[in-house]
Amino acid sequence: MEDVRAADGTRVAVLGLGNVLMGDDGLGPTVARRLLARCEFGPGVSVLDIGTPGLDLTPYILDLDALIVVDTVRADAPPGSVRLYRKAELLATPPQPRLSPHDPGLKEALLLLELDGNAPVEVLLVGVVPERSEMGTELSRPVGEAVARAEAQVLRELERLGVPAVPRVPPGDPDLWWASAPGSG
Amino acid sequence: MSKRITVDPITRIEGHLRIDVEVDGGSVKNSWSSGQMFRGIEIMLKGRDPRDAWLFTQRFCGVCTTVHAIASVRAVENALKLEIPLNAQLIRNIIMAAHGLHDHIVHFYHLSALDWVDVVSALSADPAKTSALAESLSAWPRNSRREMEAVKAKLAAFVERGQLGIFANGYWGHPAMKLPPEVNLLAVAHYLQALEYQQKANKIVALLGGKTPNIQNLAVGGVANAINLDNQATLNMEKLFTIKDILDDVQTFVEQVYLVDVAAVGAMYADWTKYGSGVTNYLAAPEFPLDTAGTKFDIPGGTVFDGDLAGVKAITSFQDPYFRDNVSEAIAHSWYDGDWNKHPWEEDTVPKYSEWQDDGKYSWVKAPRFAGRVMQVGPLANMLVAFALGDELVKRYVGLTLDRVSAIAGARVGPAALHSTIGRHAARAVRAGVFAEVAKKHWGLLVENIGKGDTAIFNPPTFPSGEQRGFGFHEAPRGILSHWVVIQNGKIANYQAVVPSTWNAGPRDEKGQRGPYEASLIGNPIADVERPLEVLRTIHSFDPCLACAIHTLDPEGKELSRLRVL
Repeated sequence: MEDVRAADGTRVAVLGLGNVLMGDDGLGPTVARRLLARCEFGPGVSVLDIGTPGLDLTPYILDLDALIVVDTVRADAPPGSVRLYRKAELLATPPQPRLSPHDPGLKEALLLLELDGNAPVEVLLVGVVPERSEMGTELSRPVGEAVARAEAQVLRELERLGVPAVPRVPPGDPDLWWASAPGSG
Repeated sequence: MSKRITVDPITRIEGHLRIDVEVDGGSVKNSWSSGQMFRGIEIMLKGRDPRDAWLFTQRFCGVCTTVHAIASVRAVENALKLEIPLNAQLIRNIIMAAHGLHDHIVHFYHLSALDWVDVVSALSADPAKTSALAESLSAWPRNSRREMEAVKAKLAAFVERGQLGIFANGYWGHPAMKLPPEVNLLAVAHYLQALEYQQKANKIVALLGGKTPNIQNLAVGGVANAINLDNQATLNMEKLFTIKDILDDVQTFVEQVYLVDVAAVGAMYADWTKYGSGVTNYLAAPEFPLDTAGTKFDIPGGTVFDGDLAGVKAITSFQDPYFRDNVSEAIAHSWYDGDWNKHPWEEDTVPKYSEWQDDGKYSWVKAPRFAGRVMQVGPLANMLVAFALGDELVKRYVGLTLDRVSAIAGARVGPAALHSTIGRHAARAVRAGVFAEVAKKHWGLLVENIGKGDTAIFNPPTFPSGEQRGFGFHEAPRGILSHWVVIQNGKIANYQAVVPSTWNAGPRDEKGQRGPYEASLIGNPIADVERPLEVLRTIHSFDPCLACAIHTLDPEGKELSRLRVL
């Protein structure tokens, strides 16, 4: 959404997708907030805990040079496995017919922008296989352990794109406000 | 012999909205609407600080973020009898109107237009004729022949690359698709242009609310937007004028494109004014408060029963007992323990799943009732109630729209046509027109109030010991949303959210009364049971949002949506 560009015009977004109230689905927001606390990013890079916007994702990925999405994924692998997908793989299968208009909209948002001609040039989905996505504000153990690996994948991709993040010294504490138990605040 | 159709998209780990219909003799004879996932997120609010509740409720749904934040702070303020400063009220109002504009533009163009528009047919359109048609309907400058040629070329290249899958939910070539190729091409052009304008509307929310989609500027007691006209870091004249400029742009799009397109689609699908009315009891909240206590509103709300506009009754304030005392939720056909019908403050939800039973329990959604009646909520309810209460702005936009539809259809179309599937789309466009006017008016009121030297934005809440009960309503994009809170000694003891899609998607109640989705499907024609486009048209016209909970992507796309015909 913020139209911030590096000096050379590069624009990269790192989006953490997921619902922080639904257990392992909070993976994406957790990774985004940990990255914000632990690293400094260049002027062309924005990092956002974006929640679950469905097709409302579109304006956030418009005209990007590169998009990095962190989310839980369905895949035939044990919980906590990290899977990487590129744009061509994401667009290889069509999005599913929908009844409710607010189902996850990554494929559709990408295709809509492909039609319009302003889709991100590069896309990386860093996916983690969840153990349980049900009501709760904590990650399961395997997914909690995958957070650092997912983060490392994001940092590696930023480096590859020529916009490396710089570690904060000392690292800050991520603002995971949802993770506090009731009554402790 | 009747056939049973089940539409059950499995787009997440668990399915969400499932619709079952029985079709006989080419039309729907019976129907069931079911939410396929237990939410109950309210439970996790127990014991928390009421001042933090909005941060959590904002995460109920990633699309309806802002609305749950607003309803939550209003519920707590109501419990504390806390008024908020006028600036805070007006800033919230502008955010709500801009959010609604964004939402309605996305809904029509990106989420439901394909129920009516055949994208493949657009490929055989003549761009010159398309442009001539468009220019006969609207002064919009981006309807030129060159624009239409460019869109057609984009579409052809897209099809060439084999990417037509995005439109997989559109049933191109379906016998119920009626628009000529030129209208289809025009719709695709506006589908693309709408991307820019939904983004602009969202930008207004971001300028006032901080980073979207989860706004950060709310507080129980007001807002956190410091106002200092000379300070770059606060809400200042520069930001205010940026907001005004964007609002003007979005309004032009709504007036010259959205309202025109909806009228054209409505006129060309005039038969759809006969289908989809279902429940004609309507409930809407008054919205856009003009004072600090919430006793005067820009758009009125209230109830209409049995489509009788003359019998309209208003909800007049944030404290109105007419609303407070009449809302209940029934669980006779929902997967919860028991068979009660309770007021939200009294609910104690205990999930108890069983298999699907047509005559028993078949949904996780409860059945909200108002004075025991099933109510339809949403833009149509909002506009009809306001129209019935004589609101001048709403009457003007309803009149303009019906005149335009009548002119295109070549026959007089009156307000009765609004009780229908296509009427819900028309009402949503009318409401977008109204929201743009309201946003500009409240922008003016804010600038005027700040000009008087008032920069107050926050009244700090204090929590007395003992128990307080509060409710907060908001006329959200999908209709009336209410949050209900019980506070004990400064902590949340109970919390319930009665959301718009629950009103509309709820199952039967203990009296066997069908919910609005269910009732609206009865009598819909079904041309092809293998491709029940008509079911999607009617359900999409409500803009369902039950997918509030989780978001696991399925990048490999192995699971297909289930469509079963028995």
